[in-house]
Amino acid sequence: MMSEHTPEPLSPAAAAPAPAPSNPAQQRQRASQLAQALRQELHKALIGQNAVVDDVLTALIAGGHVLIEGVPGLGKTLLVRALARCFAGEFARIQFTPDLMPSDVTGHAVYDLQSEQFKLRKGPVFTNLLLADEINRAPAKTQAALLEVMQERQVTLEGRALAVPLPFMVLATQNPIEQEGTYPLPEAELDRFMLKLRMDYPEQAEELSMVRQVTRSTRADMLDVSPLRTLLQAKDLLAMQKIASDLPLDEQVLDYAVRLARATRTWPGLILGAGPRASIALVRGGRARALLRGGDFVLPDDIKGCALAVLRHRVRLAPELDIEGLAVDQVLQQLLDQVAAPRL
Amino acid sequence: MRLTDASVAIRPRGPWEALDLGVLLARRHAGLLLASWALVTVPIFALLCLLLWDYPGWAIFAFWWLKPAYERLPLHILARALFGDTPSLKQALKALPGLLRPQLLASLTWRRFSATRSFDLPVLQLEGLSGQARSQRLVVLGQRDAGAASWLTVVGMHLEMALWLGLVSLFYLLLPAQIELDWSWQSLANAAAGEWLWLEHLSNLLYVLVLIVWEPVYVACGFTLYLNRRTALEGWDIELVFRQLRQRLTGVAYALLLGCGLLLLQAPTPVMAAEIGSCPLPLEDPRGPEAARLLKQPLSSQAAQHSIEQLLDQPPFEHRETVTRWRFGEQEPAAEPSEEQLSGLLELLEKFFKLAEFWNSIDAVALFFEALLWAALLGLVALLGWRYRQWLGVFAGRLGLPQRTATPPSRQLFGLEVTPQSLPEDVAGTVEQLWAEQPRAALSLLYRALLSRLLDDYRLPLNSAHTESEVLRLVEDLEQSELSSFSQALTLHWQNLAYGHRLPPDELRQTLCQDWRRLFDDRVRT
Repeated sequence: MMSEHTPEPLSPAAAAPAPAPSNPAQQRQRASQLAQALRQELHKALIGQNAVVDDVLTALIAGGHVLIEGVPGLGKTLLVRALARCFAGEFARIQFTPDLMPSDVTGHAVYDLQSEQFKLRKGPVFTNLLLADEINRAPAKTQAALLEVMQERQVTLEGRALAVPLPFMVLATQNPIEQEGTYPLPEAELDRFMLKLRMDYPEQAEELSMVRQVTRSTRADMLDVSPLRTLLQAKDLLAMQKIASDLPLDEQVLDYAVRLARATRTWPGLILGAGPRASIALVRGGRARALLRGGDFVLPDDIKGCALAVLRHRVRLAPELDIEGLAVDQVLQQLLDQVAAPRL
Repeated sequence: MRLTDASVAIRPRGPWEALDLGVLLARRHAGLLLASWALVTVPIFALLCLLLWDYPGWAIFAFWWLKPAYERLPLHILARALFGDTPSLKQALKALPGLLRPQLLASLTWRRFSATRSFDLPVLQLEGLSGQARSQRLVVLGQRDAGAASWLTVVGMHLEMALWLGLVSLFYLLLPAQIELDWSWQSLANAAAGEWLWLEHLSNLLYVLVLIVWEPVYVACGFTLYLNRRTALEGWDIELVFRQLRQRLTGVAYALLLGCGLLLLQAPTPVMAAEIGSCPLPLEDPRGPEAARLLKQPLSSQAAQHSIEQLLDQPPFEHRETVTRWRFGEQEPAAEPSEEQLSGLLELLEKFFKLAEFWNSIDAVALFFEALLWAALLGLVALLGWRYRQWLGVFAGRLGLPQRTATPPSRQLFGLEVTPQSLPEDVAGTVEQLWAEQPRAALSLLYRALLSRLLDDYRLPLNSAHTESEVLRLVEDLEQSELSSFSQALTLHWQNLAYGHRLPPDELRQTLCQDWRRLFDDRVRT
C-alpha cells in the first residue's frame, strides 16, 4: 500500500527531519517515506531477498546488529555493500580469517619514530557500518573483540575507552554449511546480534531477472552497486532511530512481545530459552517495522514479523528434536502459532 | 521257601535295578514262559475270534480285558523257578485252574485298571491275602516301589503299542505291490462289506503275538520289584548271611562245644550245701510263663499280665496311625468271595447311580460358576471399554458418527467469546447503541461478531495466535471482495482504536453497520 509513494519529490537532504520538529506525525511520515525509499533502493541492488532487506532495515532503524547466514553466492556481502552505498556514513569491512588478531579489529598503539611517542592507531571498528565477513572463520578471541563495541558502542584501547561514531551497526555474515576450520559464535556474542537472518535461494522469476541484470553489467559476475543513490546521512539515521523509539506502543503489544520471549524458556522443544535481550529486541524491532510499514503505532504483527529473526539464534533446540531433523525455525514457528496474539 | 535256594542274588536293589533283574529272570526262563503263555492265550483268542467274528474290535477288547487272568500263570512259574523248583510245562498248565480261582472277579473288574497290577499280583497269589489284610499289605509294600511299578505299566503300554505298530508295518511292507494295489482298490470299492474282517483279526493276532513276548517280562518285572521290596522290608539279605554263616560254622561250633565241655569236666567238687536238700524244681509247665500262677496272691499273674497289656497299649509303647485313603469298595469280608463280590458289585452299581445323582446336583453348582464366569467376562469387557473410552471415541469419530459432527466448535479466541450464543441477536443495532458512549466496546463487538461469522459461516481455521492482519490475509484468500473490504476497514479501525488509541470517526458507524447488515443479516434471515 505504501509502496505506491515514490520517494522522488523528497530530496534526501530535505527529508532530514531533525531541524524541523514542527509536527511529530509529519516527521514520522517523512521518516517512513525515507525508510521506504531506502528499501526500494536496496531492492534494486539485491533482487529476490525482500524479506532480508526488510529485516536489515529493521535492524538499522532499531539500532541493532545483524548476523546474516546463507550459503555462498546469495548476496550477503552485496547487500551490505549496497547498504553502505546508500548510506553516506563511514563503512569498513573486516574479512575474518583464522589468523586475525583482536588488535586487528579494535586497533592498537604504535611507536612513532618521528614524534618519539606511542600513537593510537584505531582499528576498523571505528566506523558507522562494519561488515564482519565470514565472522566464524576467526577464533573466539577475535570474535570476542567485538563484544564490547557491539553492546556499549565503545572500544577500550590502552586503558582508554574510545566511543565509536554513532550510528554504529555491525553486519556479520557466516556460512552455515562449511563448518571445517570455523569457530561457532559463542552464546554471548550471538545474543548481541539483534537479528539473525537466513538468506535462502531466490524465487525462479527473481533469479531470472537477477541473472539478466548481472550478465548485462560491466563487472563479470556481480551486480554493480555504484549506480545506487546515496539517500541517508548519519544524522538522518539517528533521527529515524529516535522517531522509531518514540512510536506509541500499546501495553497489550508489549505484553505480547514479552510473552513470546518468555514462552521460549518453557517450551518443550527448546533446552535454552531467550533472555531479556530478546524481549527488548522484539519491541525495538516491532517499532522499527512499524515505521518501515508507515504505521503510526506498533501492531502485534510487527512484533510477530520480526520474532523469528530475533529468537532463532537465542534459543537452543533440544537434542531429540535435533536428531529428528527439526530446525529451530520450525519449532519457533510452532511456538508463534500457539502463543495467543493480543486482543482488546 | 528257602532263601538259600534262591536262584538270584538276594540283596536290596534300587527299583530300576530290580526291574532289570526281572528282565533277566524272564529271559532265563523264556522258553517255558513264552510257551505256557502262548498255550493259554492263543486258544482263548481263537475262541473269542470265533465267537465275535463280526466284531473284531470287541474280540480284541475282551482278550485285552482278560489279561490279569493270564498273568497268574507266569507268576506261578517264576515263583517256583526262583527257588529252583522250575515246573514243567505240563505241571504249570495243570496248576492254572487252581491259580485262577482266588479273587478273579476283583482282578477283572475294579482292579483291572490298577497301575501297579504286576506289583500287586504276588500279594494276592503268593501270599494269598485278601480284603483288609491285602490292602494293608499293599500300603506297606507300596510305600517305596509303587512309583516304579506304575512306570512299568505305562512303559509297558507304550511298548505294546510300538511293537504292535512295528509288526503291522512290517506286515504291510512285506506285501507285494500288486496285491497292495488290488487291496487298496478292493477296500475302496467295498469298504462296507465284511470281506476284510480277517484282516482286522490278523492285526489282533499280531497284538496277541506281541503279548506273548512282552507279558512274561512284565510279570517278571513286577515280581522282582515285589521281591526287592520284601528283601528290604524283611531283611532277607541279612537272614541269608546268617544262614550262610551257620552253614559254614556248624562243624566248628560242634568242635568248640566239645572242647569247652572237656575243659569243664575238671570242675571243682560240689559245694557242701548241695547235699542237704534242694528246693523242688518247678514242674514242667506245658504253657510256660503264660500259665496262671500265683493264684493265691493278691496280685495273680493273670492280673499282672492284663495290666501289662494295658500299659503296653498306651501311648509310649503303642504308636497308632490312622491313614485314610480312597479305595474301591472292599468292605465285604472275603470269606465267601463270589457271592459277596457280586453283592459288592451291585452295591458299587448303586453307588454309581448315586454318583450320577450327585452329578445332577452338581449341575446347579456348575451353572452358578458358569454365570459367575460370564459375569466376570462382561465386567472385563465393560472395564476395558471404560478404560479406553477416549480411544473408542476417536475411533467412532473417525467413522464419522453423527453426534461428532453435530457438536459446535466451542471457542474462546483471542481471549474473546466468539460463540454465536455470546453475541447479541441484532449485532448492528447493539453497535449503533453502544457507539456513542462506548466506542471501544462497540467496535470490539463488531470485530468479535466478524470473527464469529468467519469461524462459523466461512469455516476459517482461526486460532488464538492469529494476529489481525493474518486474519485479514485468510479472509482475502476467500476471494470475496465485499467481505474482504469490510474486514479490511473494520480491522484498520479496530487496530487504530486498540493499539493506536485513536477513536473512529463518527460517520464510520453508519457505513460499518450498513455493511454488516448487508453482508450477514440477510444470511441469517434466509
